[in-house]
Amino acid sequence: MTEPFLSIRDLRKAFGSFVAVHDVTIDIPRGQFLTFLGPSGSGKSTTLYAIAGFQHPTSGDVLFKGRSLLSVPSHKRNIGMVFQRYTLFQHLTVAENVAFPLRVRRRPDAEVKRKVAEMLSLVRLESFGDRHPGALSGGQQQRVALARALAYDPPILLMDEPLSALDKKLREEIQAEIRRIHRETGVTILYVTHDQDEALHLSDRIALFRDGRIEQIGTGEDLYVRPQSEFVASFIGNSNFLPAEHLETVNGAATIRLADGSVVSGVRHDREFSQGQKTRLMVRPEAFRLRPGPATAGLAVEFVDTAFFGERRRVIARTAAGQEIDVRPTSDMAEAQEGIASSRQQIFFDPAAAFLFPA
Amino acid sequence: MSCNLLHRQPILRRPDGSGGALPALTLITLFFVVPVVALLLRSVTEPVPGLHNYATLFGDGTYARVFFNTFLVATVVTTVTVIVAFPVAWMLAIMPPALGSIVFGIIILSMWTNLLTRTYAWMVLLQRTGVINRTLMDIGLISQPLPLINNLTGVTIGMVYIMLPFMILPLVGTLRAIDPMTLRAAALCGASPFEAFRRILLPLSLPGIAAGGLMVFVMSLGYFVTPTLLGGTSNMMLAAMIAQMIQSLLNWGLGSAAAFILLVVTMALYALQLRLVGAKRMTGGI
Repeated sequence: MTEPFLSIRDLRKAFGSFVAVHDVTIDIPRGQFLTFLGPSGSGKSTTLYAIAGFQHPTSGDVLFKGRSLLSVPSHKRNIGMVFQRYTLFQHLTVAENVAFPLRVRRRPDAEVKRKVAEMLSLVRLESFGDRHPGALSGGQQQRVALARALAYDPPILLMDEPLSALDKKLREEIQAEIRRIHRETGVTILYVTHDQDEALHLSDRIALFRDGRIEQIGTGEDLYVRPQSEFVASFIGNSNFLPAEHLETVNGAATIRLADGSVVSGVRHDREFSQGQKTRLMVRPEAFRLRPGPATAGLAVEFVDTAFFGERRRVIARTAAGQEIDVRPTSDMAEAQEGIASSRQQIFFDPAAAFLFPA
Repeated sequence: MSCNLLHRQPILRRPDGSGGALPALTLITLFFVVPVVALLLRSVTEPVPGLHNYATLFGDGTYARVFFNTFLVATVVTTVTVIVAFPVAWMLAIMPPALGSIVFGIIILSMWTNLLTRTYAWMVLLQRTGVINRTLMDIGLISQPLPLINNLTGVTIGMVYIMLPFMILPLVGTLRAIDPMTLRAAALCGASPFEAFRRILLPLSLPGIAAGGLMVFVMSLGYFVTPTLLGGTSNMMLAAMIAQMIQSLLNWGLGSAAAFILLVVTMALYALQLRLVGAKRMTGGI
């Protein structure tokens, strides 16, 4: 069993001269929740459709337990899928929708009945079996779609932006349901979304797509803490990028000079920089402090505006060079107000929490 | 702004248009309602008052045969039309709009071409020495001409051809409302293309099939030109019989009774369909 459970090998899909997916390779172990994250048109849906069999790749392969799926038509792939749009069969009741995949597989009546009841209870819609999809809310319809996709115990479940049509509160509610169902069933899930919060919240692993290529693949924490490019850093979470000049790197820790002339030591990066090279320093908004701590670097700013966000307060500050930066200190709300009042302030950050990228 | 909205409200109400509708309503009353009542009266008064005209139509084997023939032709034509029209409607529904409107235009154009011309054209094509028989004999597929005209085959071919647009148009509307993603979902659920058609596409398109089917069936019941020209004397249809009764036999009472039966059957079918499919879906409010 050295074969990976599901394996995408050098997958390429071209539409005429436009290449939607460039040689994507991923191995997915059994039971993993993998999210394809990326802006629209980055190739994540096309990759998913190739696995579903809706689109034939130009080259490359999709292997399930070592066997190619490409010559298998969609209806024989035994894959579950939940779509972005509501795709329930409108002329059938909720229970008949969930029973549909079992009926086309000619399973005995008793088994169909038992399985439908089990699935409806999994998505907590036990009492909705006799209703028609039209009488259900969007969130309920997607839960029925999930029940239908899992009714035949598919080893792989594909989800193509299933929550994008729902409002924020409902989305969070169903995200929790999806996590619970993933835990309870152990099904391998490939999830497509353009929403980074959704990806971070749900996934074991995230593949960040950009222009048809995987920019970085790893856990949400990997992508957040150790972004391999400025694109990753700006797509996952919010970031400030301050222009900086690289002075030297000793034992992986760089010393840089910021635009206002202040020198900061102990910055991480994973590249080779020459002396005097122009770079950009990424600092997460929540890495800023309003008071100095041990080994923090200071940055002279002017407070421009503050907004209340519930658990956090967001402060817009302007550096001496005129760049606006996003600051979300974890505490010290009263101080932020004071800062606004006094208008000129210093804010602080831990250089070890910052990351250096080429300009 | 809110003041403006208030002012607009009376305009938002649909105009009832009673004034403008008057000429048309008068026409319908004078030339449809009044004649239908006159027809009914004639059928129970000529030549003497009573229901004997209806008794004759229902009792006589010859007339029963004509009724049977009429329903047979209408049923066959409707069935064949549905089968032939469905793939065309599906193609139109999923086609890129630009290409679709060209095909649509061709179909509409055929509707606008003179009915008599098209029926005579079929006579030329279908007769014993016609284009179809000659071609088939020339390439050696048959040795004797096929009987394609003056029988049920001829009537079916000619009428299906004329009825196709009436089936395709409502069906395209219904099929366009079906999200193609629904069929992809069915495929991933394990449904083969045939199963997806039988269990999903066909039931979802039923309102369109019913609307088009009723139209074709009702039109077929009363059709005159095509069955007269392409059908034989042995399978006369109701409309031709009514014409004969009134024009040749001058039996207005019997003709009126037959016409009235046709009207009642048509209304009954419409009522049945409203019940089965629902008035809302019939008028397109899916």
